[in-house]
Amino acid sequence: MSEEKINSAVPNELRGIVDIVYLNRDNCKITEKNGFIGLRAVLDKREESLFDEEKPEKESKPDEKAENSERDGKDEKKDRPAVVTTDLGDGKVEKLAERIFLSRAFPFDMPFEYISVLDRDKKEIGLIRALDDFDEPDRSMLLHELEAKYYTPVIRRIISVKERYGFSYWKCECEFGETSFTLKDTFRSIIKASSPDGKERAFIIDVDGNRYEIPDMEALDRHSYKKIELYL
Amino acid sequence: MIALDNYPSGLIENIDKKGISEDKLLLLAKCDMNRDKVHCDCYLAATKDELLIISGIMTLNPKAGVNRHFSAASASRLEATFTELSYECHMLSTLTDFSVEEMLSTCRLTAQSEDADGRILLALFTNTSKLQMSLFAKYIKKIKDGKEPELDEEDSKATQFCPKCGSRYPDPNRKICPRCMDKGKLIRRMAKLFMKYKLQLIIIIVILVAMSALGVLSPYIGSAFYYDEVLRDGGSFYGEILLVLGMILGMRVFTLLLNIVNGVITSKIACLVSYDLKQTIFNAIKRLSISFFTGRQTGGLMTQVNNDAQTIYGFFCDGLPYFLINAVQIVVLVIMMFVFNPLLAALSLITIPLFGFIVRFIFIRLDKLHAKRYSSSRSLSSALSDVLGGIRVVKAFSKEKNEVKRFNRHSERLATNEKNLANFQNVAWPLSDFILYLGNIFAWGFGGWMVIRGELTYGMLLTFIAYMNMVYNPMYFFMDFSYWATDCMNACSRLFEVMDAVPEVVEAENPVSMENMQGRVTFNNVEFSYVKNRKVIDGVSFDIEAGKVIGIVGHTGAGKSTLANLLIRLYDVNEGEILIDGVNVKNISFTDLRKNISIVSQETYLFMGTILENIRYARPDATLDEVIEASKIAGAHDFIMKLPDAYSTRIGFGYKDLSGGERQRVSIARAVLRNPKILILDEATAAMDTETERQIQTALERLVKGRTTIMIAHRLSTLRDADKLIVIENGKMPEFGTHLELINKKGIYYKLYKMQAEALKNIGIEA
Repeated sequence: MSEEKINSAVPNELRGIVDIVYLNRDNCKITEKNGFIGLRAVLDKREESLFDEEKPEKESKPDEKAENSERDGKDEKKDRPAVVTTDLGDGKVEKLAERIFLSRAFPFDMPFEYISVLDRDKKEIGLIRALDDFDEPDRSMLLHELEAKYYTPVIRRIISVKERYGFSYWKCECEFGETSFTLKDTFRSIIKASSPDGKERAFIIDVDGNRYEIPDMEALDRHSYKKIELYL
Repeated sequence: MIALDNYPSGLIENIDKKGISEDKLLLLAKCDMNRDKVHCDCYLAATKDELLIISGIMTLNPKAGVNRHFSAASASRLEATFTELSYECHMLSTLTDFSVEEMLSTCRLTAQSEDADGRILLALFTNTSKLQMSLFAKYIKKIKDGKEPELDEEDSKATQFCPKCGSRYPDPNRKICPRCMDKGKLIRRMAKLFMKYKLQLIIIIVILVAMSALGVLSPYIGSAFYYDEVLRDGGSFYGEILLVLGMILGMRVFTLLLNIVNGVITSKIACLVSYDLKQTIFNAIKRLSISFFTGRQTGGLMTQVNNDAQTIYGFFCDGLPYFLINAVQIVVLVIMMFVFNPLLAALSLITIPLFGFIVRFIFIRLDKLHAKRYSSSRSLSSALSDVLGGIRVVKAFSKEKNEVKRFNRHSERLATNEKNLANFQNVAWPLSDFILYLGNIFAWGFGGWMVIRGELTYGMLLTFIAYMNMVYNPMYFFMDFSYWATDCMNACSRLFEVMDAVPEVVEAENPVSMENMQGRVTFNNVEFSYVKNRKVIDGVSFDIEAGKVIGIVGHTGAGKSTLANLLIRLYDVNEGEILIDGVNVKNISFTDLRKNISIVSQETYLFMGTILENIRYARPDATLDEVIEASKIAGAHDFIMKLPDAYSTRIGFGYKDLSGGERQRVSIARAVLRNPKILILDEATAAMDTETERQIQTALERLVKGRTTIMIAHRLSTLRDADKLIVIENGKMPEFGTHLELINKKGIYYKLYKMQAEALKNIGIEA
């Protein structure tokens, strides 16, 4: 079912030129260990493209790696490959990744669709078209991971905005209480986006890189709106 | 104990209850979340063998408010209680490899655990706690090694909070708290820049004082004295009209002269001071290391040089004197008015507070409207330049209509905002003028009544009204002055920031002079990172004999260019050393270092000017023959000669635009002309076709004889003549050797080579 759906979304002319591995409930299970998520996926065996790193060769040179790890103390994890690939025959391979990392392709517009799944070495294993392609509990595990990475408190009310010396100091009421943050280059720190249902949204990124969201500009009270209006 | 954050006394009691006394704690830090993404106060503490993670809620004295951004310093001054929510304890011996994983708006501290057979999550926190937690990870490694950790000086300075008020620095690299900035000190320091023109400034001030004295005197003579003493029967100068006219005329002429002198001097030092300032700023800027520029926007810097000088000049030469004079004048006027007639003075000045209040309001509103207009005009002009710059793309995709729509949308917004601004101004200013005028009405009314009753002379009334208007006139200016002052403070602090910034790469105190280098380059276990904790170069060691050609290969972003930047000391290494002819580059004088090394980088930058000037940039005294020879070597001569103005072709913004390959050839010519001992070609031929590349290489081959050449490329064909090859991957150097050695090794290089050879084979070329 999902195969159909995916193909229909890709324009015909482009189909088949590159392989995109879509992960969904049929080919992938999310695993959990020590609070970190991983996956087990059964995928079509792909022809190794020229640009892909050939895993076996990489491992066949342990001499250098061993040297490095002694100095680092960091590379004992390298003992286990980021993804263990086993050939299941029938043109299928099983991929086992102890840890996976998620990355949103369109973080502002489609937070729960098009999520890239990367292995420990930040190499893409596959793409999740939509979070709903997974059933519970996998879905909530993915969601939990995404929400931790893209932690974005919602601003309910802007209490005050003070601009001084090129920085602006914001005091806001968030879901967890009152907070304050500092913006550098205020205009560029506020990103406007629209949510799927057409609401005007804004994301604020502070000096540290923390993110805050105003999910619906129009729902903001007049007092708060007037404060942010200037920077939109 | 190293406390990376302040902590409440309640926390220590809490830990004490668990049987761990305070003196056993070696390290303490705080982060702002628990692992379930709930904001709380989560403390991480370490003893010799244990790691404690305690999350809970710290309650502060309500007077100060709970505010995580301001907590660092203010917390120490407050009573704080701690309510524990969760607690866990890990044995340090089971944990290894602590690391802070950066996610996006959060980070997490993880470690390899023996018990759990894999990584475990220790803490989750927002970017706000990132610095503290990465320090925590650093020091806990030391504790694990059995060392008693001591806080490095550098780290103790790394605090992000103002020690005085506890608020967070807007820019962690710039330890200036806008709240606590000493403005007086800033002004005094600024004033020093003007001290050079002490004499002129004194003259200006004397003139201004004289002018304001005349300003106070002339209405008195023109009105009170004239009407009451000259025109009135019985006045002490009755009938001597000529005398008075003479006095008035004399005063006018004197004022005129003062005005002229003042204008001449002011505009003279205006230019000088503004020039001085720009020079000061530019001098300060060019002294700084490259990292200062990459940390800020270059465009922003340029605006800084120009606008700040203008703002500072304007404030000190126009604003401040005018303010001082007017302030003095107003005080004198008000005193005189009260001396003449206290009742009338009080009545006629009664509208001033109301006026001040209204004008304040108008300014706030205007400020907002102006900001809105500014932002819409900014987005309009950026949309315009965006479209014009990309007009080729717009036409190629035939998107003209959409662009027109986009432009119209911006244009419409600007028009609306401009209309709002104009409307407001048209209402606000007449209104505030009217309020001022009400003061006049009061004075006329009460004054007239007093004249009729004989309590006041007619001349006195006229003087009074003249004075009153003199008090009112500068009111608008005073209202605006505070904005002006803030602007100037801002410019000053930015200026001093540039002046005070310490260059990270500094020349050694007694640099070794190396006029003629041999060209032997040695890297010893070099480590480097642009951002803390993210190593770009990690343990690279190699030794290049003088006069050899070395190729560096690797994937994009592997750190190849960084190696070159380190060699010419645009940055300094974090660990290890780089030697040229056995001398550490840190000890070689900048002049010698850069005279002997030329670099052609992948981003070619040509300055505005002619091609000749650009080639000669490195050696302005080169003869024209040399320039042509260098261009021939670089393969630039032929294309240059095809340009109508040949070597005199002006290039740069608004002039002739060279193609990527042409620019690269010009910059190679520039490097060749310098005739360096060490030549670095950093993807210098990437934008050229293979044939041109070949030609240039053949020419370069002749040139590079006896010179150390470092070639950086991802196209292996570029490196076919290299004596030795260095393979860089993820900042490490897994392979080093000759082409043959590396092929036999069947490693990364072999793979790259096979790949590119195969690609060539596909199109029928045997490599």
